[in-house]
Amino acid sequence: MPTSLIDNKESSNFLVGLAYKANDIWYDLVEILMQLPGGELIINYIKASHKNDPWRTLLEALLALFAIKYFLASRYSQDDKDNMVLSKKETDELIEDWVPEPVVVDLREDEKWQIETNPIINGAVSKRVDIQQGDLISTNVLNFASLDFLGMSTDKKVVENSVECIREVGVGACGPPNFYGTQSVHVRCREDLAMFLGAEDCIMYGQDFATPISVLPCFLKRGDIVIVDGGAYVGLQKAAMISRCNIEWFNHNDLDDLESILENLSKDLEQGPLNRRFIVTEGLSENFGDSPDLKRLVEIKNKYKFRLILDESNSIGTLGDNGRGLPEVYNIPRSEIEITIGSMARSFGSSGGFCAGDKDMIYHQILTSNAYVFSAALPPYCAVAVSTIIKAIIDEEVEGKVNPHIRPLKENSAYLHSLFNNSKELSKYVTVKSDSYSPSLHLRIDADLREALDLPDVYGGPGSAVTKALKNGNEELFFDQYYNLESFKLQTIINKCVEAKVLPTRTKRILHHEVLPIVPELILHINATHTKQDLDYAYSVVSKAIIDTLEHWRKTGN
Amino acid sequence: MSKTYDTSELSKHVPNPPVNNLSIEEKAEMEFGSLSSDKYLASAQHDPSIEIRTQVLDEPPYYVVISTYLNYLTLIIIGHIRDFFGMTFMPQYYSAMVAKNGYPPWYSAFESFYPRRLKRRLDDCFARPIYGVPGRYINCFNRASTDYNESFYYDGTATPCLNLSSYNYLGFAQSVGKCTDDSIDAVYKYGVSSCGPRNVIGTTDLHVKTEKILSKFLGKEDSIIFSMGWGTNAHLFTSMVNSKCLVISDSLNHASIRFGIRLSGAAVKVFPHNDMEALEKILRNSISQGQSKTHRPWKKIFICVEGLYSMEGTYVNLPKIVELKEKYNCYLFVDEAHSIGALGKSGKGICEYYNVDPNKIDILMGTLTKSFGAAGGYISANKNICDRLRLDITVNNYGESIPPAVLQQISTSMRIISGELNDNEGELRLQRIAFNSRYLRLGLKRLGFIVYGADDSPVIPLLIYNPAKMPRFSQLLLERGIAVVIVGYPATDIISSRIRFCMSAALTKEDIDLILAACADVGDRLNLKFSTGIAGGERNPGDWKKGIKPRWSIEEVIEKTPEDCRHEVY
Repeated sequence: MPTSLIDNKESSNFLVGLAYKANDIWYDLVEILMQLPGGELIINYIKASHKNDPWRTLLEALLALFAIKYFLASRYSQDDKDNMVLSKKETDELIEDWVPEPVVVDLREDEKWQIETNPIINGAVSKRVDIQQGDLISTNVLNFASLDFLGMSTDKKVVENSVECIREVGVGACGPPNFYGTQSVHVRCREDLAMFLGAEDCIMYGQDFATPISVLPCFLKRGDIVIVDGGAYVGLQKAAMISRCNIEWFNHNDLDDLESILENLSKDLEQGPLNRRFIVTEGLSENFGDSPDLKRLVEIKNKYKFRLILDESNSIGTLGDNGRGLPEVYNIPRSEIEITIGSMARSFGSSGGFCAGDKDMIYHQILTSNAYVFSAALPPYCAVAVSTIIKAIIDEEVEGKVNPHIRPLKENSAYLHSLFNNSKELSKYVTVKSDSYSPSLHLRIDADLREALDLPDVYGGPGSAVTKALKNGNEELFFDQYYNLESFKLQTIINKCVEAKVLPTRTKRILHHEVLPIVPELILHINATHTKQDLDYAYSVVSKAIIDTLEHWRKTGN
Repeated sequence: MSKTYDTSELSKHVPNPPVNNLSIEEKAEMEFGSLSSDKYLASAQHDPSIEIRTQVLDEPPYYVVISTYLNYLTLIIIGHIRDFFGMTFMPQYYSAMVAKNGYPPWYSAFESFYPRRLKRRLDDCFARPIYGVPGRYINCFNRASTDYNESFYYDGTATPCLNLSSYNYLGFAQSVGKCTDDSIDAVYKYGVSSCGPRNVIGTTDLHVKTEKILSKFLGKEDSIIFSMGWGTNAHLFTSMVNSKCLVISDSLNHASIRFGIRLSGAAVKVFPHNDMEALEKILRNSISQGQSKTHRPWKKIFICVEGLYSMEGTYVNLPKIVELKEKYNCYLFVDEAHSIGALGKSGKGICEYYNVDPNKIDILMGTLTKSFGAAGGYISANKNICDRLRLDITVNNYGESIPPAVLQQISTSMRIISGELNDNEGELRLQRIAFNSRYLRLGLKRLGFIVYGADDSPVIPLLIYNPAKMPRFSQLLLERGIAVVIVGYPATDIISSRIRFCMSAALTKEDIDLILAACADVGDRLNLKFSTGIAGGERNPGDWKKGIKPRWSIEEVIEKTPEDCRHEVY
């Protein structure tokens, strides 16, 4: 410290005293240090550095202090910078006063019908089922609610092979795949899936709904960009959100919109760092029953150097000549789709989900994908069932012809769609939303009728009451009266159908889980095992129930 | 690994199971060993007269800690050097990590550094393919690598190994017996799949029936069963908490709980593992201070703990947590993934172990993979809560429901445990696992190993420390016909790599003798006997204070421990 500075300023004696004191302590410290082995070296270093640059001493001293503070800081210290200072008594009073909200909001009286109308199936879920739905018991009902589109889950060969596997291996896998949970049948199933889809490699998950939510965060981190279809189902929405990357939404299947978003982004992207970029969409939309123009989508993503994540949960086994999904329809090699996510609980009539793509991508998931690393492997017999179904499909494959396992489903889909589309009378009440190749027929209450019935165009979505309630944590306000009413009316239609031995279903979406706006729909899941008579009958029953219910609603207002 | 193999006869293809000609009896014995003496039974039940203490952690000598850090440092330095030269001169091997044709890399070199440069070296100990029932023995395919675990060669043969690696606490992984027969009947009756979400079509009478059996077993009003344990936690929290709620979570909670909380957007505070004082401090502070910045009161506060911690083998201090929960009026979530079926006199989990009324816990969650030989998870709570969750949980509306054969396995095994079926078979299984766990743990402690966890917990972690010893331990045990799981960073602290023995009722006392002998031998070869005796295993109580370390000979351990382990409590 230059003494002249103190002299010039004529500071108080106190300051001078303090400086002398500091000086003494410094000399004592130096003496102690000198006695330590190697101390001399340190002293010489400090002296030399101080001489050259006094500020550096200050900086280094601060650094040392910071380092000490950092190491001493508790690992579990919580953010309490802005805490109020409270006495023990005040704290106790505040604790006494605090009343938490209930664990979950109890079901309202006008909501209870939802739980009572969930169908319970007695016995196997096949083409005809015996169901119990609250007080309503109905046997031999034509099933239009099953997602086992090919009807393979009760196939004789599939059942036999699964039973044989249980006889060999037991039921559960009893361990995560990385710890002795990988059976040879799992490896076979992976190979079969990869071969069937034409992908390099494949990985299997224990639950279909857990697949996207675990796959996306492996490749998307903060700063990365993902552009998601605005009609994506809730699994993809949540997967994108948990990745904490930047999310953009494009209008459902509107590739012009996608391209304009990419065009706008491209200037920023050129300058910024090379982040990972993905486009996420579905092969066959869960919410709308339609598909994007994959050919153009692939062109776009190649042009802008984005990668494509395609959720083929619904499209595998249903689209393409051999059920290989949307790429087979457009004759695009699987390698153009960087990540394919799919379900084995739908057309494959088993359980679990899978992800297919190139080797490096899959290997990364084996080590970092949360649901794969921290969860038990799929029960082995489920893998055997999938292998059996794939083998059955491949065995009957003929170049240029529709596979006999898939053909009935395709014909049924087209036929039922044509029945509903061609009905003049029905079109006054409902609109068919799905495309004719979709195995799920989506029906929405017609826009004009909605207006007449005083229903909003859409529910939820940005800016809605539910979104606000979610932001404020007001769980009481998650309930939407009109949404509940419209869903109830759809359920009334279903109940009428069930009485007439047909079981359709409806969207059972939960408003506060959805980021995007939604509209309730009546859905018929078409199956390969349905006959033409079944479809004719279902059409007559469903259309009558729709007309009866909605006409009654329009006339009487309830 | 430096050995050269003749690879002409080998294949990189995982082989199909070889034909074996075992009779049904032999097969049953391979899956579930028969009990040799009634002496080898014990009970896993907390003695209320003993105060619950936090566990005493033994520590290794300093040179072990320092060499462990040096181990990692060396690996990291070498890894970075290899990355630098590799990515510069041989980019073709790093294609996923470098930008190509304007496409960003799949993942950065930094993100994948640990798997490539550290875990790759242990890869022959992970994901060993198996076939057959993972019961008392597990059939591991023999394999070898010529390229430092990049790929493996198989010769089509397999070795049956004593199984300490599968989650098969009560030995229900069987292909012979009532459970399997019932499950097969279920496949014939219900088919392979459940064909859709629970609320759409996937609820059969079997689902309803099994949920009732489960609720009765747990002593709760209602339950919901899901097809995946991880998925249960991952999707549960978004239906219970929101950004205005607080979750107070144990620092060692399972990844699925952390994932679920993150997805829900709730605020999280973490308390050190099992530290009840820290928990109370956080509770007092959180309730009085309210939400950060706004200081508005929290809408709800959830305490999230696990019953039995899967990496430590420790139990939660449930009586104390229930007391805190009631005092501070918050909610309690207990994940019984490992404890359900394995603990308590009749297998009802951590509540029964401590004799706590299960209805004092708001949400009981558990998995059905571990003790029941099945798959899936459940949530158990009061009826009003379950009703809401049934409608609200996303999986129930969009995802698959649990398949019939798995459900049947759950309901049959649960009825066996509770004594409804097969007389006292369930009780016997419970007593066998309690004895087996106590025997192996005390035996290992007496041999001089550092072992974590409560005395009767079926998860027995043996501390290894140095990362290089992990694969060696696993390989040496495999050579001796024992399959074990190694766990290291990031599942544990960077320093405390460990072997995790998962005990099973399927093993016999004689099997454990073999395991102890193998461990004693390998422990000497790898210099792993670091115990000071502070955590148990000493000859006379208090020896550790005099600096006498427990280093019993294997003969002595096998002779005395089976008797001692049934009552000794350190």
